[in-house]
Amino acid sequence: MSSSFRSDMGTDPYDSVGDDRWIIASASDRGSSRGEIDSLLHGAGYRVRSTDLRHVAIGLEQLESTMVGHQCVASSAEAIHYNPSDLTAWVDSMLSELAPDPHLLRHPQSTATANTWADPTQQRPSLHRLENHHQHRNVPAVSLQSMDEEEDAAIRLVHLLVSCADSVQRGDSEMAGSLLDQTRLALARVNTGFGIGKVAGYFVDALCRRLYPPPPSATGGGGSAANLEILYHHFYEACPYIKFAHFTANQAILEAFQGHDRVHVVDFNLMHGLQWPALIQALALRPGGPPLLRLTGIGAPSPDGRDALREVGLRLAELARSVQVRFAFRGVAATRLEHVRPWMFQVAPGEAVAVNTVLQLHRLLGDRASPEGSDAAAAEPIDTVLEWIVGLKPKIVTVVEQEADHNKPSFLDRFTEALFYYSTMFDSLEGGRVGGSHRGGQQQQQTVVAAVAEAYLQREMCNIVCFEGAARVERHEPLARWRDRLGRAGLRAVHLGSNAFKQASMLLTLFSGEGYCVEEVAGCLTLGWHSRPLISASAWRADDADDASPPRDHQTLVLQDHSSSITSGSNNVVDGDDHLHQHSVMRSHMGSSDRINDTGSGSSCSRV
Amino acid sequence: MAGSNEVNSNESKMVVPLHTWVLISNFKLAYNMLRRPDGTFDRHLAEFLDRKVPANASPVNGVVSFDVVIDRTNNLLARIYRPAPPNPTTPLADLHRPPSPDPFPVIIFFHGGSFAHSSSNTAIYDSLCRRFVSLCGAVVISVDYRRSPEYRYPCAYDDGWAALKWASTEPWLHSGKDAKLRVFLCGDSSGGNIAHHVAVKAAESGIEVSGNILLNPMFGGNHRTESEKRLDGKYFVTIQDRDWYWKAYLPEGADRDHPACNPFGPNGMKLEELPFTKSLVIVAGLDLVQDWQLAYTEGLKKAGKEVKLVYREQATIGFYLLPNTDHFYEVMEEIRNFVTCNLKQPANI
Repeated sequence: MSSSFRSDMGTDPYDSVGDDRWIIASASDRGSSRGEIDSLLHGAGYRVRSTDLRHVAIGLEQLESTMVGHQCVASSAEAIHYNPSDLTAWVDSMLSELAPDPHLLRHPQSTATANTWADPTQQRPSLHRLENHHQHRNVPAVSLQSMDEEEDAAIRLVHLLVSCADSVQRGDSEMAGSLLDQTRLALARVNTGFGIGKVAGYFVDALCRRLYPPPPSATGGGGSAANLEILYHHFYEACPYIKFAHFTANQAILEAFQGHDRVHVVDFNLMHGLQWPALIQALALRPGGPPLLRLTGIGAPSPDGRDALREVGLRLAELARSVQVRFAFRGVAATRLEHVRPWMFQVAPGEAVAVNTVLQLHRLLGDRASPEGSDAAAAEPIDTVLEWIVGLKPKIVTVVEQEADHNKPSFLDRFTEALFYYSTMFDSLEGGRVGGSHRGGQQQQQTVVAAVAEAYLQREMCNIVCFEGAARVERHEPLARWRDRLGRAGLRAVHLGSNAFKQASMLLTLFSGEGYCVEEVAGCLTLGWHSRPLISASAWRADDADDASPPRDHQTLVLQDHSSSITSGSNNVVDGDDHLHQHSVMRSHMGSSDRINDTGSGSSCSRV
Repeated sequence: MAGSNEVNSNESKMVVPLHTWVLISNFKLAYNMLRRPDGTFDRHLAEFLDRKVPANASPVNGVVSFDVVIDRTNNLLARIYRPAPPNPTTPLADLHRPPSPDPFPVIIFFHGGSFAHSSSNTAIYDSLCRRFVSLCGAVVISVDYRRSPEYRYPCAYDDGWAALKWASTEPWLHSGKDAKLRVFLCGDSSGGNIAHHVAVKAAESGIEVSGNILLNPMFGGNHRTESEKRLDGKYFVTIQDRDWYWKAYLPEGADRDHPACNPFGPNGMKLEELPFTKSLVIVAGLDLVQDWQLAYTEGLKKAGKEVKLVYREQATIGFYLLPNTDHFYEVMEEIRNFVTCNLKQPANI
């Protein structure tokens, strides 16, 4: 070995025995194998064996001459397939991709001076008293190794996943199956407790399910509506996305309701009604007194004879009573949103209407026409629904949607996009949890909540990957597309305002870990994890929403009513409510709410 | 061209130690892949290739780090490094207590990357900031400023200024009987440029800065200087890539005599009347922009501002990233002296 090689073993002078012998304090002197990871470069985030340094240097030189000019662009496509931490492998792999000519590789004797790095004696650091510095790099080699091997495995895993999805798209089920096996093996080498390993695990399962769908009876739609509500609630608790959505929407609704005595909120997905206590309380505190508030909550029918919607309505009515807000509730049960009709809301003349859609509108989308498709896609349910929303002449329509494009025509594109989206989502669950609370007792509870929240997200992911046609409901599209669509339907954006932004930001400081960020984009707000927006909130109004004329298909309800309703039973109702009161009498004769008949298809998987 | 490349690389190998050569060449290679001729930047690939490390609230060599959001309105993050709190079992709230009852320096650090690369959690900068803590007993605030080409001038300066303002409102960063913020602005490459401009703003706004520490600061101008021509492509950096980064950072249509790039050039501002702080400027003799850095130093002197120049003849860019040369240790010592001297007696008025 030349003296210049020996010198550059990445030694720190303070590891040495004495200042003349620092050159010799190499890996072998420490009694460990020649394969010791170079500590200097490790501090820079690279894992290179000290013995490989020269080889890497030569490789870098060769790569540079290969990558001159236009090849830089092509090489960037290759760069993502190799672990950049493992410099040796990275350089070797890049070289074999870009310069397959063996003559270009590994000619250490190509020029006489090619190998000569600086004479170490000129570079020898003088002794310093700063003794603490040498401790920086006393990281045990073993833990180093396992950490970086894991990173390696993770990258390979992602690569395999995407390749598998690609075969699925091409219809090559044999290749897909084989890749799936390899992916499972790769999964075994990765820590699936957090990070990419966890997300990848879910995607492997989803791909597997798509390739080998279980028999229809076993599908069960992924669990009952009640189960979904529990998952949703945990997701609500574990991270700020839904809270942000509710908060921002309520702000907009509150502002739109200013000056109106009778207001009506139509909630496209009531769940536990988590959004409404805050609005009720805000209305109670309104200067000039609260309006009469009607809430119509849409939700799935309850299977077991319960009337879940009614129960939520009762709770909200109780709250409203306690803060002296006149309140009336109606539940509309439907398995699919497109079965709902506006007459079911019974919007009264003179009411200010707010339509609230949190993570619902995307369910009404269909397959997007492929870019090369000539015709526009067939009329989608979204168009019908938007039409009657506009027909209600709402003062405000609040729209919250996932900020992602999971409705691209190509399965591979959807898959890859979802992989990155949910990976970031999961990161935020993890990061938000760690940052949000330091109190030990809460940690365990938070773990449980986060785990169930993950199950909620997993349902979404599974739907995106496994289902097609009417069964694929998680058709998320980005804000830009919603803007176009809502605009074409006749809705105008309402700027959410800096107030909403500031308050959303404050909300984050109160509830969440560092890393979440609120951004404002042309009057809409997005909430994301670090630089990736994950959810968007926007507000809209119909063009001429100034006069609240009655909706077109208003009907006298009595006998054809398919919904339950509850009033808060206060005596101080104004006359517009007589018919509601009368209506509750009708309800008691009707018993529990009837369901909208389900004519839609159940869940179905498509085979590759 | 192959022939001259060979000559270039042989020359550089004579002077540059192997580790430094490997590290900086790797960056050069990666960065070449990220800059597109049309002025756009492959941010996704950049983030993928960048070696990052998480913050660590458990002491490593007596230093802990944690990330904070400095400014929610534009999601400005910073990583704070400090000496480990004395009692390892006390809650994390102790992180926000002063590290010492005596005056201690606060170093606001702006990482390099020619305004486009790296982050506050990039491994090389994490290492450097940790070293500053041990070196000076400082609290180091590494600012994750917005980068070009997505965010052009003056975003990086605004973020730097926001960080300084933030520090001035954090009680635990104030020390000494007079409870002052003893703050130093420090940066390498583009970070050095940012430090200068934030210091100007501080001087204009009456916030006292104890000193500026600029490591191979990034400055330029329309004129091609002698060092640029002589060293073009010789030690990892080319005039072409410098031009690209300026184009990506400066406002559309601006040229390199814009005051952000050339603060003492034809469009520069006069600092004579401002209480601009003292500076320590470190210049590497193999850095092609050294003529601009030296001109900067001259500019400061002419404006009557105190500046100490440390010129390391055989150092390349990035020499301060690896502790494998005299340059490294001696420059660290210079920094320590500068901070210690200016701690007791905060600079100027």
